[in-house]
Formats: sequence, structure tokens, C-alpha cells
Amino acid sequence: MSTAEQAAPDHEQFAATLSSYLADRLGTTGPVKIRDMERIAVGWSHETWLFDAVWSSNGSEQRMGLCLRRDPGNALLRDKSDLGEQFRVLQCLGDTEVPAPRAYWHQPDPDVLGAPALIMEKVPGVCPSPWRRAGRDFYAAAAARGVLPASFTDALAAVHNVDWRSAGLDFLGVPEAGKDFAHREIDKWESLIEASGHEGHPILSDLIGWLRHNAPPAERLTLVHGAFRTGNLLIDDDRISAVLDWELQVIGDPMYDVAYVLTELNREGTDLLSNVVPRELFFERYQRATGIEIDEQRCAYYQLLYAMRSAAFWMSAAGLYADGATTDLRLARTHWSVTVALERAATELGY
Amino acid sequence: MSSENHELLGRLAEQVRSEIAPAVDGEYRRTQAYMAAVILERLAREAVLGERHATAEADDMAQLLTELDGIELEALSEELAALRANARVAALGDVVEALYRVDPERPETAAALAAIRRVLRRDIDRRMEIAR
Repeated sequence: MSTAEQAAPDHEQFAATLSSYLADRLGTTGPVKIRDMERIAVGWSHETWLFDAVWSSNGSEQRMGLCLRRDPGNALLRDKSDLGEQFRVLQCLGDTEVPAPRAYWHQPDPDVLGAPALIMEKVPGVCPSPWRRAGRDFYAAAAARGVLPASFTDALAAVHNVDWRSAGLDFLGVPEAGKDFAHREIDKWESLIEASGHEGHPILSDLIGWLRHNAPPAERLTLVHGAFRTGNLLIDDDRISAVLDWELQVIGDPMYDVAYVLTELNREGTDLLSNVVPRELFFERYQRATGIEIDEQRCAYYQLLYAMRSAAFWMSAAGLYADGATTDLRLARTHWSVTVALERAATELGY
Repeated sequence: MSSENHELLGRLAEQVRSEIAPAVDGEYRRTQAYMAAVILERLAREAVLGERHATAEADDMAQLLTELDGIELEALSEELAALRANARVAALGDVVEALYRVDPERPETAAALAAIRRVLRRDIDRRMEIAR
């Protein structure tokens, strides 16, 4: 049995542990039953479990849909992703217009639930993978109905319109005016590259040198999601019911998120941005909703920064396998994904 | 590695992909089997292409060193000396970093960077023959 399977707890035992934990947190007099428990998307980051907690109160049945994320300790982002930070971000977003799951509990002690964990609201909706044909067909059909493209754009605008100081999100760290945001991101991904132990390639030196030399000043600082695209958004009845995957958020240049929407890498076989929104609609609606003019030159810079981030992700993944932190062969395979990321970077740099 | 072993790796990859992986129970384990096939395919390509790529790299580096000798790069004398002693694409990272420290937009550093990028493009294209 591989390390990944060994790390996934037996369902029954885990459900029993959860039941005790939730009974304590909810203050129930009777037991809490865990129903319909499933682990979704055997991914490379945190484990994600969906379930319903059911208990009796004053003679009537109470049911609460919950989502649990656990950190197995060998996640691709290493120390760049922290469940405690995710919990705090979700709490801060609770009183804003951003559709996000309500965060209930953060359990940092690995002895309680087997690993540090975060329990949040299970929001209704689906999140089809845009990397699969069925997912892209879903998004194409939704786009044709006309509601989801606007909702997608509005959700991003809501993220950028958050008064992050009032919401208490300045704990994420606030870049100084000017080029500090770009330099902080470069430093962050460079540290992940170093931690990976991967040999790298001179194209990466070229990319990092170019990024440092050409860093643009951020004209305005907003909350930035860091990975805003289909596949990270829950959709219910053609509307964004929740923005998920709060692992890469920062206070920074909103063009960083806009660049991620614009990039060809987040769509396949279509001109629809992120497989779902017409470019003209996105530009017009986003600019109107935020008062922020989309700067395509700055977006082009951030697309190169994403090339660095992408290389860093794959190097980290390959490094986890090389170090024996995981036996998941999908991470072993990413050794060659680094090559693909660097080839793309070279093309973006003009050679 | 002999050419017979190259062929063996390739056959092994194909067998894992077409016969073994489809027969594995459980989505996670089946995915792992397919990944093993993907990895074996790439290792097979590396084995087949290794010698040709090494020769091409050596030729590219020899040509690059000649080009760099013709550019005024006094500020990079240390890095260039190290490159001459270890004329491999992997060693170009230090030179590139030094070029950016000097100023990538000065005519001589821009010329050097352009020459290096031509080599990097050929190198990454060779790697893509394996990685695609």
C-alpha cells in the first residue's frame, strides 16, 4: 500500500473520531452520527472529506453538511499553505460579499483528527474539473445559458472589492507601495524551488532574472485569491456558490488574479476565459464592478510570474517523491512537467 | 544502455499501459499503474535519445563559447572561466544570473543573453522530445 493510501484513514475509524470531536464542538447531549462520508479528489494538496453530521436536539433531527480538509504533511505547497491561515481567511470573509464557505473549526493538533484539520460548511454545488472533457462540456453549456459568465466575473470582483483592512485580512502581510508585491511573490516561489531540491534549469534563472528586472508597481492593493479559475469554484444553478481553495491568497495586485483568468493555460479548446466567460463580457463587467481598469501589460508580466510558480509547483512535487515523502507516482511523473513549464516560460520570454 | 535494453524499456512501458494497468482494481491503484507506464515511457525515450542529445549539447556549448569569446564581458570573467571548465548547459544558470546582475539591457550583455537563449531553446526542445 502506498504512502498516500496509508495516510488516508479507515473511514469507519475516522468517522468515529469525527463523531466524538463534533459532539464536543457542537455541545450535543447525544451522539453525532457521520453520514454519507466521502473523500473527494485524491489530490496533491490537502485531503478533502464531505459528510453530514446528524444529531438529535429537543426531539428533532439536526443535520449539518460539512467539509473537512486535512494536511497530511506532504502537500505540494509545503510550508506555503497553512490550514490555520485558510481558516482565518474564511472567518474574515464571513461578513463580506465574497461567496465562501463558512469556517467552523480549526484543529491544529495532529493527534486529535490524525493531522491538522479545518472544518467548514459544505456548500451546495458542483466543481467539474476543467481538465476533463466532461467538465469543459459542463462549462460550455453553462456559458451558453448566459448566467455563469456574469456570476464568475462578479465573484472575482467581490474578492477584489473586499475592504481587506476592515475585514482583518492585513494579517496576510501588506506589501509596500510599488514593486514590493511582485518581489515578494518571486521570493516566495524561489524559496519553494530551493526547498524542492530539484536541479532546475538555466531557463529558470533567466525567468527569475527577467521577473526581478521587470517587476511592475502595483497601482492598487486588493485581496488576491491566487488561483481564481473554474475548478476552484463551486457552481449551483449556474451561479458561483463558493470560491474554494484559499491556499494562495495574498494582499496584492488584482491584475495577478486577472492574469490568471486571461491565461490560455486555464482554458482548452475555447476562447472563453477559464472555459466559461467571453472576454468582452469579463472586461466590461469586471471593470464596471471594481472601478479597476484591466492592464494587459501588467497581466502579461504576471503570466510569466505564473510560469515561475508553475515550475516551482512541479519541482516541489517531484522533490517530494525524490525525497521519499510520498510514493505517489503522479508526483514522480512531474519531473517532466517541469520541462513543459520551462519550455512555456522560454516561449513567453520570446525564445 | 544497449539498444536491446532501450527496446525492453519501451516494451515494458507498453505492456504496463495496455495490459497491466487496465487490470488493476481500485481507481487510485489503477492510476498509479498508468503513471508507472508514463514514467517508463519517458525513461525509455531518455535511454534512446541520451547519446544524441549529449553530442548535440556538446556541439551547442562549443559554439556558444566561441560566440561569447567575441563579446566584451569583462564583468563576467569569473563566471565565464567556470563555464569553460564545465561546458554544460546546466552551468549556464550562473552566467545568466551574472548577466542580470550587470544589466541585461546593455548591448554586450543583451548579445550574450541572446546567444545563451538560442542554446537554451535547443536544449529545452531536446528535453521536450522526452517530456511531451
